[in-house]
Amino acid sequence: MQKHGLNIYDNLDQGKFPQFVIPSRSVNNIVYDKKLRQYILGNANAVRSSRNMSQLRSYTQLAWLAFFVNRLVREGKSSTLRDIYYSSQAFSIDFEDQPESDNIIVDLEAVTLSPREEFHIFPEERSSVFGDLTIEYTVPGYEGKRMNLSDHPDGYLIGPSLSSAELVDTSAELVIAIEKGGLFTRFVEEKVHKKFKSIIVDTAGQAPRSTRNLLRRLNQEMGLPVVILADGDVYGEHIAMVIKSGSANAAHLRELTVPDAKWLGVWATDIEKYKLPTIPMTESDIKRIYDLQKDPRYQGRKLEETIGGLSKT
Amino acid sequence: MVAPMGRFTMIFKIQGEGKRWKNYNFGRVKISLSKETFSQISPSEFFYRNRDLAGFSNPTRSLYTSVREFVENALDACDQKKILPDIHMSIKAVDPEQSDPKPYVLTVKDNGPGIDPKHVPHAFGTVLYGSKFGLKQARGMFGLGATMAILYGQITTNKPVTVRSCADGKMSDEFVMLLDIQKNKPVILKHNTKEASKTGLSVSIVLEGDYSKAGSKIRDYVSQTSLITPYASITFEDPSGEKFHYPRIVKEMPPPPTIIKSHPHGVDVETIRRMIVDTHYQIPAVDNKMIDKVKKELGLQKKNLTTKDMLERAQKRWSDLSRPVRTIVAVMSFLNVDFDGLQKIRIDDIDVANKKITYWDFGTSQSHAIELDPESPYYKQLASTIQGDTLLTFLTKRFQRVGPTTAEKFCEFAKFKPERRIGSMTNEELVRLADALQKFDDFLAPDPSCLAPLGEEPLSKGIMKFFNPEFASVLQRNASAYSGFPFVVEMGIAYGGDIPTAGLKVYRFANRIPLLYDEGSDVVLKIVNEMDWSRYKVKGDPPLVIVSHICSTRIPYKTVGKENVADRPELERELKNALQYLARKLAVHMSRKGAADMEKKRANLYAKYVPLISQFATELSGKKKEPNYKRLITMGSEIEEQV
Repeated sequence: MQKHGLNIYDNLDQGKFPQFVIPSRSVNNIVYDKKLRQYILGNANAVRSSRNMSQLRSYTQLAWLAFFVNRLVREGKSSTLRDIYYSSQAFSIDFEDQPESDNIIVDLEAVTLSPREEFHIFPEERSSVFGDLTIEYTVPGYEGKRMNLSDHPDGYLIGPSLSSAELVDTSAELVIAIEKGGLFTRFVEEKVHKKFKSIIVDTAGQAPRSTRNLLRRLNQEMGLPVVILADGDVYGEHIAMVIKSGSANAAHLRELTVPDAKWLGVWATDIEKYKLPTIPMTESDIKRIYDLQKDPRYQGRKLEETIGGLSKT
Repeated sequence: MVAPMGRFTMIFKIQGEGKRWKNYNFGRVKISLSKETFSQISPSEFFYRNRDLAGFSNPTRSLYTSVREFVENALDACDQKKILPDIHMSIKAVDPEQSDPKPYVLTVKDNGPGIDPKHVPHAFGTVLYGSKFGLKQARGMFGLGATMAILYGQITTNKPVTVRSCADGKMSDEFVMLLDIQKNKPVILKHNTKEASKTGLSVSIVLEGDYSKAGSKIRDYVSQTSLITPYASITFEDPSGEKFHYPRIVKEMPPPPTIIKSHPHGVDVETIRRMIVDTHYQIPAVDNKMIDKVKKELGLQKKNLTTKDMLERAQKRWSDLSRPVRTIVAVMSFLNVDFDGLQKIRIDDIDVANKKITYWDFGTSQSHAIELDPESPYYKQLASTIQGDTLLTFLTKRFQRVGPTTAEKFCEFAKFKPERRIGSMTNEELVRLADALQKFDDFLAPDPSCLAPLGEEPLSKGIMKFFNPEFASVLQRNASAYSGFPFVVEMGIAYGGDIPTAGLKVYRFANRIPLLYDEGSDVVLKIVNEMDWSRYKVKGDPPLVIVSHICSTRIPYKTVGKENVADRPELERELKNALQYLARKLAVHMSRKGAADMEKKRANLYAKYVPLISQFATELSGKKKEPNYKRLITMGSEIEEQV
């Protein structure tokens, strides 16, 4: 970050317009890496120059963000996507709306090839975890403090402190990711964590990056298999897919995928097999099916068949 | 058979002893009255019965119409004498406590030439008495609308009109009068004279009106009149005592229009008939005055020659003799009488076709007829007197821009002999002639010298003063014509400045009169609405004003209300061309403004963002002192737009 700062400083001092080189995140530059089993960015770069009037504003926003997260990291403070949007106003950096500021954050990730969590920027927490897992905090003021995640039946928010904590010990043999909060609560009530010796994670819909990162760490560091319990529809299937193969939006990032995770639950083929009741699909549901069929992440897998199966219902 | 004449083209001749049909155009109505009908109803009576047709249908409209008539008369009077108009108008309630509609005193005072005191009673007390009956552009017709307003006032309040006039700059005459509607005559109640210092006319009437409803239109009328008459100073005091003053913006008056002859395309059978009557010389009455005239022209004041000597003398001086004298001499030669003999007879008829002259002998109390000798040199003289000019002469003399060549071509086209005497034409032939005049395409375009456009400079100044815009442009198109009536389109466009951002507004004028009603169906609005404004870099609800002024000897009004102009193709084309020209000018301004705005915006952007970048970079890099970034701001604002 300091390197970038120096670069800008020198440019200004020499009467040159500073610029950022950002790996292009345009659709053309997002490719699927079969080896990594996730989307990655290609080689194309985009230049954001302060010389170009139409880019001047977003250039300044990016420079501000670098400056701001530098402060965050230096002072050991955290922020959220929304907080960044509001903080900008104190520096006369005017974002039109939060999507614009979120986008600049992704730009900074791409420039530095680091996830925003490294800059202490977190999404609003909504995803939670429950089960026999002991962690040790690393955040300032809690360093070395340990905690077991089965102590609180509502589960623990997967926030900045949990994301940065060390994973110490677990008796669980399985990680179950659940799409819905209601089911998560039921699983805790039904003591699924005990019956199946598992850690239960509520992804609350599409899993946030911190959750995906936690799932990956549980899989890689603790050697636990991950199963995903998602709805038997195109959306549930895609939630599972993003956990397995990552998203196009985070193509510039690594360490967010669990390629070996398994999708459990009702499959499309089961609907026919067991003659299950269904809700008729809407037009947008059908469109989604065709979109997914073109997605390289679904190519040549069993999942592809299930899409075909879904399209029949 | 009724001439379709507009308000500005009326050629009206008051002929007490008219032999033919009379044709009246009372502004909004056209009527033909034979002599018999005419004697039964006076023009005042007619107006009285049909006042709603003349814009006096209700108290609201009547108040507005009265204001218009008086203000327009005042302006016209000043225009004619090239006096920079100074108009004062006031409307006062007779009893402010009363609720509308109620009697109001309307007073309009000008600094015009005034009216000779001996004409005042007739000018204001007689319907259809006036001097503005010629072919030229004017706002209104004196004697029509104004007298109508006076009539309306008298009908509704039974109060007299007060006219104060000073024509010589020394003495002012004040008349208090009523109209005798049945006799179409003024009844003077009071007349006094006092010393005055300047010319001018002041008319004050009491009429029933509704200012609470008419007020906004009257204020609009006054303010818009000041826009199209920037050389006038206009003050209006409303019933509440509030004064609206519109000072003079330009000190130069536009050149006045000249009265011109008709264009062949602009006349119809009735007009031709009247023109023929004009050229058609009557047999002069033989009285002492006429005999003196004959003697004088022949140089016979002292001598008394025999008829024979006298005729010889006339032959020698023939070319110097006036037309009536020639006629008298010709008659004397045929009848072989001297001056004494001439006084003892009365010529009854000269029948050229049958070569006969009939006269009444007072001495013998008998009627006599004498054969005319077609070989006699005097025969031709008499024939031309009685039968009028040849068609060729008639065309070249009575119409604008018709020369002998064109006239001959026309005769060939219309299948008339050029030497054909117009006085001898039958009714059918006249219709054929009128028809041919309309259809012949080789006449030159109408002469626009009878028009009085405002001119680009006064219009521009008026617009600048009135709207205080950031941009304005005006255009006066060349004269054009429709159906033989010349017209000129003047247009102005104004943008931004004090103009509210409330969408395009059109100010319409015709012959320097604001048109306030019936905007929707007007041709100007049609043209404006048909424009694709986005092509001229005008978007949304722009602060845009268009001022359109149509000048013509006859504005093609759509309705009797005279508030909206019909869409004649010729007029439409002119309006469109004018508007497109002005819109292009506006577009140039808009792009310049756009470029300037862009440069400004650019400068602002760099001034705002570069210091921020510097601030962030300084902390990010861990430096203490900010970099020298100042020149980047200047450089930034100078970068050309990269497309």
